[in-house]
Amino acid sequence: MTHAMRTLLVVILVGLLLPLGLARAMEPEPPLLTVSLPGMALDEAYENVLRSINQHNYTFVRDQAIDSRLVPQQWEARNVRIVYFCNFSKMDRALSLDVRAAQFLPCRITLIEQDDRVDLVAINPAWASQNLGNPLLHPLCLELKRDYLAIMEEASL
Amino acid sequence: MRAMLLAAMLLVCSGALATPQIAAKRVDMRQALDDLALAASNHGMTIVKVQPIDNALVKRGYDNPHVRLAFIGSETAVRWAEAADPRLLNLLPLRFALIQQGDQVLVMTDDLAIWMPYFSDTPGRRLLEGWEAELKDLLQDFLAQ
Repeated sequence: MTHAMRTLLVVILVGLLLPLGLARAMEPEPPLLTVSLPGMALDEAYENVLRSINQHNYTFVRDQAIDSRLVPQQWEARNVRIVYFCNFSKMDRALSLDVRAAQFLPCRITLIEQDDRVDLVAINPAWASQNLGNPLLHPLCLELKRDYLAIMEEASL
Repeated sequence: MRAMLLAAMLLVCSGALATPQIAAKRVDMRQALDDLALAASNHGMTIVKVQPIDNALVKRGYDNPHVRLAFIGSETAVRWAEAADPRLLNLLPLRFALIQQGDQVLVMTDDLAIWMPYFSDTPGRRLLEGWEAELKDLLQDFLAQ
């Protein structure tokens, strides 16, 4: 195949694929990802989240109450717990692409117990990257979003 | 071809909405954290956690991104958020990214303005506006330390 033909092929492929990529990049994303766990207590939901994190190749980093270190430990709120976790390879890639990824990494799920359910809530990294406007970062953030949803869905089972 | 691709990417990128507040200061990371702690204290807030993600990545064999996170909070902010709109709890404690670049540290906070359309008719919006102003003052205080 001549150089000119290869170039033409690339032009055609890019011409076909770029609009799809742009359309995907511009799909509106919700700011929050939420999965509800009806009939589950916070402690059970917490254990499920930890198990699910490990099963999806992420490392648990730490957890804390929403008011940790702001009130004496015995007074900490028991209905909201934050879990931080990380896939260090993905974090490395994200920070290499755009250091502003530090605004949403490491990953975090907030567990909020209310009435007879627990809500698992996370800030949608795909929404965050859309707001940052870096198309190089966005595919990785879509991957992170899929991971979040898989972790939260599995925790709900 | 590359120019065309780049132009297409910039077209997408031109929709950037988030403009994080940033302050830069000629100090090392340790001094920056000390100054940030003092600034937070002046605003009734506390650093509840420092996350050395630079060390965490280096320890696992990755490049050093020279980034640390400081999480800053106040009990008042938590209680107001609980009362106003529990969705706001996802933003607490407030996050500061500290990035060492040569002999200076950049401190970057979340852009809370991008959340406001989602809280347009709730007390949460007033809370967000208050936090945004507080962050701005806190960064000024950080520079003044």
